[in-house]
Amino acid sequence: MNERIQKVGRVAATALAVSLVIGIPGSPRAQDEASKPPAAEVKIDNFTFGPASLTVAPGTTVTWTNRDDIPHTVVADDKTFKSKPLDTDDTYSHTFDKPGTYRYFCSIHPHMTGTVVVQ
Amino acid sequence: MSDETTGKKDVILHDHNHDGVDRRGFLRCMAWAGAGAVYVMQGGILKSFAMGASPRHGSGVPAGELSFVQISDSHMGFNKAANGDVVGTLKTAVDKINALPLAPEFILHTGDISHLSKPEEFDTVDQILRGARPKDVFYVPGEHDVLGDDGKQYLDRYGRSTNGSGWYSFDKKGVHFIGLVNVMNLKPGGLGSLGHEQLEWLEHDVKHRKASTPIVVFAHIPLWSVYPEWGWGTEDSAQALSYLRKFGSVTVLNGHIHQIMQKVEGNVTFHTAASTAFPQPQPGKAGSPGPMVVPAGELRGLLGITDVNFVQGHHALAVVDSSLD
Repeated sequence: MNERIQKVGRVAATALAVSLVIGIPGSPRAQDEASKPPAAEVKIDNFTFGPASLTVAPGTTVTWTNRDDIPHTVVADDKTFKSKPLDTDDTYSHTFDKPGTYRYFCSIHPHMTGTVVVQ
Repeated sequence: MSDETTGKKDVILHDHNHDGVDRRGFLRCMAWAGAGAVYVMQGGILKSFAMGASPRHGSGVPAGELSFVQISDSHMGFNKAANGDVVGTLKTAVDKINALPLAPEFILHTGDISHLSKPEEFDTVDQILRGARPKDVFYVPGEHDVLGDDGKQYLDRYGRSTNGSGWYSFDKKGVHFIGLVNVMNLKPGGLGSLGHEQLEWLEHDVKHRKASTPIVVFAHIPLWSVYPEWGWGTEDSAQALSYLRKFGSVTVLNGHIHQIMQKVEGNVTFHTAASTAFPQPQPGKAGSPGPMVVPAGELRGLLGITDVNFVQGHHALAVVDSSLD
């Protein structure tokens, strides 16, 4: 399980991602593409997870970004993963190692629901 | 009978008690006022009226036996486009309370005291409310007050003598007040929730009270189905209200939706208060229930306080709110 929460702006998040990629010492460019860990994003806009249903390969790290003016959370229905409250532009990441269907919701606004399918 | 109205829309509430009180006119007044209300309890009946139409101003509203004020959704710490000065608007709300000709005996805060449950946010609200003439403040938590710690900080600050996650009751001059918590343990896809333990407590709390006892219930999320698509309702509120059926006068005061709305069902009057921080859109009138940005000159007209009077011998509830203009 790999989780992190960062208080970063969207630009900063992009810069961080870039620095991570180019910061791998001695990695030839050709291998970068192959060795880059799979990643996917979910945006929170207008009290909605987008996409509401996301399908990824095992090992994918999914990052949620709250773009609302109101805090939200990302909490698994079975509580196996759970973010802290995410203020505007806060992000939360979770790596899905095993295949399965993972349903989650915002524990502050429980009508907000989403699904990550790992296969 | 079930009528409802929103703060800024045409009024459809009628004189269901046939007591000659023109609530149509009253609610027009309410729509004009925008937000905030004074309540007076008279003879077991909750009346509320506009600040400028207080008993001492000869409006015809009798002086009450009990007067209190409701504020809600101060969201201390919020600093986005919808209101960059939630400190200033809460201070204005306190000024409005202190300017009431009929001094309220206490304040009800129906939750979302803070925006992010930060200690300094609660501290700031506490400090501002110390400037209010009424010294007693009764709270229930909003979902923003229990972030990250399942409400432990909230309970430590405001709920030391309460039950469970913060519910309690108390009596003032013959009126029974019940503070409920419906922002904890929310289920995926669900609405606000009271939960089994709290419902049992409520049933026991009211079981042996006389049916003539006026009841005031206050909670953060509306205890009626305002707009489930936005989560504006409480999934087990019907169960709670079933315990209150025998009472002749039940008034339910909520916040959460940052706008004034009222509904009457039999002996139960539901009322939501405006926020002191920022307005939210009318149900379904925007892509989401998030903070609504309005022109700077219009903001304070959409924020406010609610002032309540109970008046003996009257069989109608009237709720008037006052904006921060």
